[in-house]
Amino acid sequence: MKKRTVTYALLILSVLFPLFSNSSWITIGTTFVIYSIVSLSQDIVLGRAGMFDMGHAIYFGMGAYTTAILNSTYGVPVLLTIPFAVVIPVIFAVLLAAPIVHLKGDYLLVATLGFNIVFEQALKNNLFGITGGPNGIFGVGVPSIFGIEFSSQASIYYFSLFFLFLTLMIMNNLEASKTGRALHFINEDSLASETIGINTRFYKIFAFAISAALSGLAGVAFAVQYSTVSPEAFNFIQSVLFFTIVIVGGQSSIPGVLIGTFLMFVVPEIFREFATARYFVFGIAMILTMILRPKGIWPVKFGRIPKYIRH
Amino acid sequence: MNTFFQQLVNGLTIGGIYALIALGYTMVYGVMKLINFAHGDLVALAAYIGLTIFMKVGTSSSGLSILLIVLIGTIMIIVFAGMMLELIAYRPLRNAGAPRLSAVVSALGASMVLENGMMLLWGPNLKIFPSNILPSSTWSIGGVIISSAQFFIIVSSLVFMLLLHLFINKTKLGTAIRAAAIDQEAAQLMGINVNRVIVTIFVLGSGLAAIGGIFVGIYYREVYFNMGWLYGLNAFVAAIVGGIGNIPGAMLGGILLGVFNAFISGYVSSSWSEAFTFILLIGILIFRPTGILGERVAEKV
Repeated sequence: MKKRTVTYALLILSVLFPLFSNSSWITIGTTFVIYSIVSLSQDIVLGRAGMFDMGHAIYFGMGAYTTAILNSTYGVPVLLTIPFAVVIPVIFAVLLAAPIVHLKGDYLLVATLGFNIVFEQALKNNLFGITGGPNGIFGVGVPSIFGIEFSSQASIYYFSLFFLFLTLMIMNNLEASKTGRALHFINEDSLASETIGINTRFYKIFAFAISAALSGLAGVAFAVQYSTVSPEAFNFIQSVLFFTIVIVGGQSSIPGVLIGTFLMFVVPEIFREFATARYFVFGIAMILTMILRPKGIWPVKFGRIPKYIRH
Repeated sequence: MNTFFQQLVNGLTIGGIYALIALGYTMVYGVMKLINFAHGDLVALAAYIGLTIFMKVGTSSSGLSILLIVLIGTIMIIVFAGMMLELIAYRPLRNAGAPRLSAVVSALGASMVLENGMMLLWGPNLKIFPSNILPSSTWSIGGVIISSAQFFIIVSSLVFMLLLHLFINKTKLGTAIRAAAIDQEAAQLMGINVNRVIVTIFVLGSGLAAIGGIFVGIYYREVYFNMGWLYGLNAFVAAIVGGIGNIPGAMLGGILLGVFNAFISGYVSSSWSEAFTFILLIGILIFRPTGILGERVAEKV
């Protein structure tokens, strides 16, 4: 009961946040919301399904680039780009994941990292002449509905927050569903899950697909928030950060992942004057966290197994 | 045909460097089953240290003795850094029996510390490596141009690889390393001090990384703080291509990848070369995940 109260309090706080903050804090809040969606979606693949995916920025970037290209180059309204920004990353996630999901641990990590580097180089080399090369694409518009434009920072915050709530809802449902249990079992013991008839290959690809869809949504919000997209925002260093957030925060733990995102993307904004030293400090913090709390800052707690089963 | 041989020489030079770096990855992975993400940054650190030592001892004169001082000094410092890395970032996790992913994140953290430490110490801008470390003579053999730096890098990479090969196969400590790579627990039961084995591979790996770093400086003549990722990733790909955990595999993989890279740059496009490297890697992972020389091991249930 108490946990639920805290959750609702935090949700209400996140809705009321723009009312008592100035515009620069709302910008930081929007950044936090967008990166939270990506980190949570990374958690589906890495934390829940246990696949070492170090190329998650690809799907985030595909969503952002899809919105940017459609809106800025072809003049499609932002809201109409959303279906494309979700479907395109999903298609690529299925195509890219299908040949490699059977790879174990580090091999999968390196393969996905490789995809990310190919993706970044494709963006930089202006593939098909639509990605804008190393500078990216400028001038992405804002969403509008019935002539009302979401142009203020607060409205973009709510636009992103809507996606975050959607993500949290999906993750909550996932936890209680057959798919969620299957992913969890695959993570614990892939071979055992296969022997009792779980189609591990299907569920692994499914995990990639759903997390790519959510990252694509985050990409839309990113394109709207910064009104520009460039290859650096989606390179493999970003993927390394998302990977780190999940492990440092706590795998398959929603509060853990949110704390991780907060530490990685909000704390640096507070300590702006030490900007150059920030990753130096982060590196030390990462090592220390792993030594002191190997399962993350806020590890997930599962129900306790009754004593008579344990022996 | 000339382009072919020219790119072959260029490829062998880069390949020699990749092989030296890949050996560090493959030895650590073989024994600890850990991708040592900070290894590439040791390479970058070596280039900086080499540059700093060279600036102190011999900007005006050049010669073999100066080069030897630079090499030995850098190797000593990088070996110390590698040992510290193991002691601070990996050993506490190993002793606590932490999950494997924690070690991966700790390695990423160490990489961040090294990379940004270098940026704070030497600044974010590219530094130019002096050209007078080696005499700048070139030879032309049937139209193919070989510089003294290339000749020196190819020959000495081969020498260092041969030395490592002898150490691993002919000495007691080398045998212990091979045993720990096959089965750490069994090795421990046979009285092998696995911690000492791990320190040894970090000493060897860091030493080779130091040499690789100086060669990078000599060959590309530029140093920047985040170049470790580039050389580290390429070397890691080389280790996988050859079969990770397999020492001759890393040597073969390094040289093959270097030549592959050079041909892609020469015949296709240099702005796509990284993408091709990783397409090659993904192809290898899909069709032969254990690499060229890796053995197929049945999964124990």
